Amino acid sequence: MDLLKSLAVAASGLKGQAGRMRVIAENLANADSSPERAGVDPYRRKIVSFQGKLDRELDAQVVELGRVNRDRSDFKTKYDPGHPAADANGQVKMPNVNSLIETMDMREAQRSYEANLNVISSTRRMIQRTIDILRA
Amino acid sequence: MANNGLGLMGALKTRMQWHQARQKLLAENVSNADTPKFKPHDLRAPSPAGGGTTLLQTSPMHLGLSGQQGGFDPRDPKRFETTPSANSVNLEDEMMKVAQNQSDYQLAASLYSKSLGLMKIAIGKGR
Repeated sequence: MDLLKSLAVAASGLKGQAGRMRVIAENLANADSSPERAGVDPYRRKIVSFQGKLDRELDAQVVELGRVNRDRSDFKTKYDPGHPAADANGQVKMPNVNSLIETMDMREAQRSYEANLNVISSTRRMIQRTIDILRA
Repeated sequence: MANNGLGLMGALKTRMQWHQARQKLLAENVSNADTPKFKPHDLRAPSPAGGGTTLLQTSPMHLGLSGQQGGFDPRDPKRFETTPSANSVNLEDEMMKVAQNQSDYQLAASLYSKSLGLMKIAIGKGR
């Protein structure tokens, strides 16, 4: 039944967006993680990617999380001479996480998640309507 | 066959199958809304059987008939939103299609139920 396949496809979308939210949460949680000592790099922001995959069993294109890559942009620096990780100039390397970007990414993931949920609700109503035919 | 109501039920059944296939395609579009280079698809609306004039391919050596693309909608509407990653899924557009598909399916299913009711009346088990 194609409707059950629709449910499985939408569920793959939910799973993908949930994985994306997990990575965003990881980035946000580590936004202020400073290194333990000088010369050590702090947390580097993670970027998630999606890839379409043809599921032969479902005969449909589902989505799954691809490799989680690291953001290659420069680290931020903070002037804190008393910090154990401060260099000779008193600068401490901080993670290259921008809370604003992460919040926007989070909103986007939330919208996509809701859209997939909507597809599931709609498909469930269609299945219910099909079952109702039996009562006619 | 068409006069005893079974033709109508057959047509409704085909219509419902078409809506199910379309729902699967729309689910694919929504779930791949963030996949790079993904282009959304839609199904071509079923044409009424026997309606209009159709071209006939009389020899396999002839060129294929235009517009035959495996049931996909050959029209390529202009996408007004394509992300830098070449993904052109528009979530609002897809949600509209999902809602429309659901209501059309419910209409076909209701008509099917009514046809079954009529059949029951005809065979003497009417309510």
